[in-house]
Amino acid sequence: MAGPSPLSRRTALRLGGLALPALALPGALTACGTATGSSGRVLRVAQTADPKTLDPQRQGDLMSMNVLVNMFDTLTTRDTGNRLAPGLALSWSAPDPRTWRFRLRPGVRFHNGERCDARAVAFSVNRLLDPATKSPIVELRYVREAVAVDELTVDLKCSQPDPIIPAKVSLFGGVAVPPGYLQQVGSAGFAKHPVGTGPFTFGEFQRDHRLRMRANPAYWGGKPDYDELVFLPMPDPSSALAALQSDEVDIVAGLTPDAALQIQGYRGVEIKHYPGIRTFYLSLDTTAGPLRDVRVRQALNHAVDVPLLIKAVLDGKAREVPTMFPRESFGFDPAITPYPRDVGLAKRLLADAGFPDGFDTTLTAQTADANVAEAISGLLAKAGVRARVELVDTGTYSSRLTSANRGALGPIYLGASTGWTLDAESLVQSNVRHDRRQSRWHNAEADRLVDAEEQSLAPADRQRAFTGLQHLLKQEAPFVFLYQIDNIYAVDTRPQWQPGVVGVLAMAGAKVRS
Amino acid sequence: MTAPAVSAVRPPAAGSGVLRAVVSKVVTAVVVLFFVATAAFFLVRLSGDPVKLILPPDATGQQEATLRASLGLDRPLLTQYLDYLGGLPRLQLGNSLVYDQPVAEVLFSRVPATLELAGSALVIALLLAIPAGTFAALRRGRAGDTGVMTGVLIGQSTPAFWVGILLVLVFAVQWQVLPASGYGGPAHLVLPAVTLAVYSVAVIARLLRSSLIDVLGSDFIRTARAKGLGTGGIVLAHGMRNAALPVVTVVGLEVGTLLGGAILTEQVFSWPGLGRLTVEAIQNRDFPLVQAAVLFFAATFVVVNLLVDLSYTLLDPRVRVTS
Repeated sequence: MAGPSPLSRRTALRLGGLALPALALPGALTACGTATGSSGRVLRVAQTADPKTLDPQRQGDLMSMNVLVNMFDTLTTRDTGNRLAPGLALSWSAPDPRTWRFRLRPGVRFHNGERCDARAVAFSVNRLLDPATKSPIVELRYVREAVAVDELTVDLKCSQPDPIIPAKVSLFGGVAVPPGYLQQVGSAGFAKHPVGTGPFTFGEFQRDHRLRMRANPAYWGGKPDYDELVFLPMPDPSSALAALQSDEVDIVAGLTPDAALQIQGYRGVEIKHYPGIRTFYLSLDTTAGPLRDVRVRQALNHAVDVPLLIKAVLDGKAREVPTMFPRESFGFDPAITPYPRDVGLAKRLLADAGFPDGFDTTLTAQTADANVAEAISGLLAKAGVRARVELVDTGTYSSRLTSANRGALGPIYLGASTGWTLDAESLVQSNVRHDRRQSRWHNAEADRLVDAEEQSLAPADRQRAFTGLQHLLKQEAPFVFLYQIDNIYAVDTRPQWQPGVVGVLAMAGAKVRS
Repeated sequence: MTAPAVSAVRPPAAGSGVLRAVVSKVVTAVVVLFFVATAAFFLVRLSGDPVKLILPPDATGQQEATLRASLGLDRPLLTQYLDYLGGLPRLQLGNSLVYDQPVAEVLFSRVPATLELAGSALVIALLLAIPAGTFAALRRGRAGDTGVMTGVLIGQSTPAFWVGILLVLVFAVQWQVLPASGYGGPAHLVLPAVTLAVYSVAVIARLLRSSLIDVLGSDFIRTARAKGLGTGGIVLAHGMRNAALPVVTVVGLEVGTLLGGAILTEQVFSWPGLGRLTVEAIQNRDFPLVQAAVLFFAATFVVVNLLVDLSYTLLDPRVRVTS
């Protein structure tokens, strides 16, 4: 067998010629590629995913809302102090317990010139309620129909009293869509090229690449400070933060505390965190095992050192909550204080309940919350409760959460609620009253209090019911109450913007430096 | 003499034999795709309920039932399966449950970005792997060979997402000469394509090296040398052609890997390709879209393998005449 010959100069040159284009390709591409710098008065926002659809009545997830809130208006809205404020409706009242009447803002037009009057608003609500729309928006469950009373007055007729309809229509349940345009292009056409009344008009959308909106010069609330708003989907937080550092985006939204830590200290990039309303808790199955005993449930609340958890795992970017309610929600009672964290007391309570050596259990959590779940498991272990962490993906978690088997997520699971309405009703509507799908607690007094706050129209009566409910929740401890997490953003030096507590990316009020 | 790796290949017959072989392969492909379609249909339904993901957790049971009915998911499983199979020949794959658009439209809108990325990655891989493999073969056992093969080994053992992040840190964050992520001009293509190419470079270069070493030791190469041909001429005119067969097989498989395996790269670089779409569809339990994506990837593998088999007839005359 002949050995390999030394490479001749000519061969080397030939092979070099083959390799050269490969090495030169990146440079050549750079030369002809687009620059990454910002251009003009554009605000670029990165979030983890694109909107699922651009039809505002066919979505209910945060990513979609973040985009659509900039193109569409709702009947009511939230001001900078998180108070309910006029949107498309200037005022509202309840002429009878089952009717909410909205008086609309005159002169509002859709981006295509169509009038946004009572007929359009009634059409919008009725379209949402129509099963054929397949809307995932569930807030208006008690609304039967919307009726245009006159050109600027709309009535929402309910099957039973619903005191927080005005708060519910600050979300996409109260969105206005153009009837004429929808008739002309159909639902599919509407989702491809949405037309709203909002501060930005639709520009272009290439899924998983970029969504562009242009400032609406005719917006009733005044033209935004800049010309173009761009949303970029970046599923990987490291990449999004790299894009921020290389001046390809101005704001990275939806960061977790540990992702935010990656970028702390970089020049020209700032981590900002604002109070948020997403509230975390451990749901306890009070119908089975050791958790049937209230002393055991109280012991768990004493054992989980929430301030330590916030400091050590969440980098201080959360606030402890006394019960289920975030501070900003109607119904929150500041007189109710969190459980004192006391491992000794937790052990005594466990011993009194017949578990001097603790017990074995399971703590189920979504994979995204693995850090928190592991830390909680460690804190519980100090009191002798050996909770094995079981992680499941979001799909499995959702399926089990609302499964007919209320123990499907195990004896303890880490849950979270976002009460978009800023009313405590949203926090307890699914998991407290014994007949609700996620409830694992039977308490007649709790049922009564839930009925009272859900059916009374008088704010003082509702507050009383909520206060009673918070006392009861703390005493009976069907949950371990944890924290409300901040909304975390990374921003460069160009935008000036502060989100509301709801955390939706309504960018019309932002200012952008050129 | 060591024969080129033809024996590993089932050669298509000449003339009508080729046609018969092609028809037989197409029939096999259809059967494979039928089983893939069936498996995708049932497996995705074992993974969870899309209605629970579309609706917020505070939806009532009645709201769930209404949505399930309007999405057609309340029909008997067999009816859904037969509807799905019936639509396949006409490419009627249903509507995406999440995006509310025809699945074919959603899927095919991503094909250009994926082809762009996979195609560029393949070109880069070949442009780097062929010289590297050839150089290493010619320098067998010497420092150059060891150096190239060590580099290649590192490339093969490094996960794509790590390479991607490293490239982003250097070229986008530190030097700011290339965009960190996104889709647009050719500049956006460089980092993801190089990231995706790294693994393939390693695979192809290593195979080419060993294949070429085999070929360069054969009698006909010795004869060529005796005739006074230079090393370059021998390698390019005789060695490469004979070493190409196994390499083509692997390149064919790599095409499939590049098309289907770009998921991590697409995530890291926010590239709007099929991989990312498929991951999102799985996370959303978007049944029709998952089924279509799985079928698409399977069909791509089948077609590429078919083309690889047929390409042997062009590369090796012996294959054409064997049967």
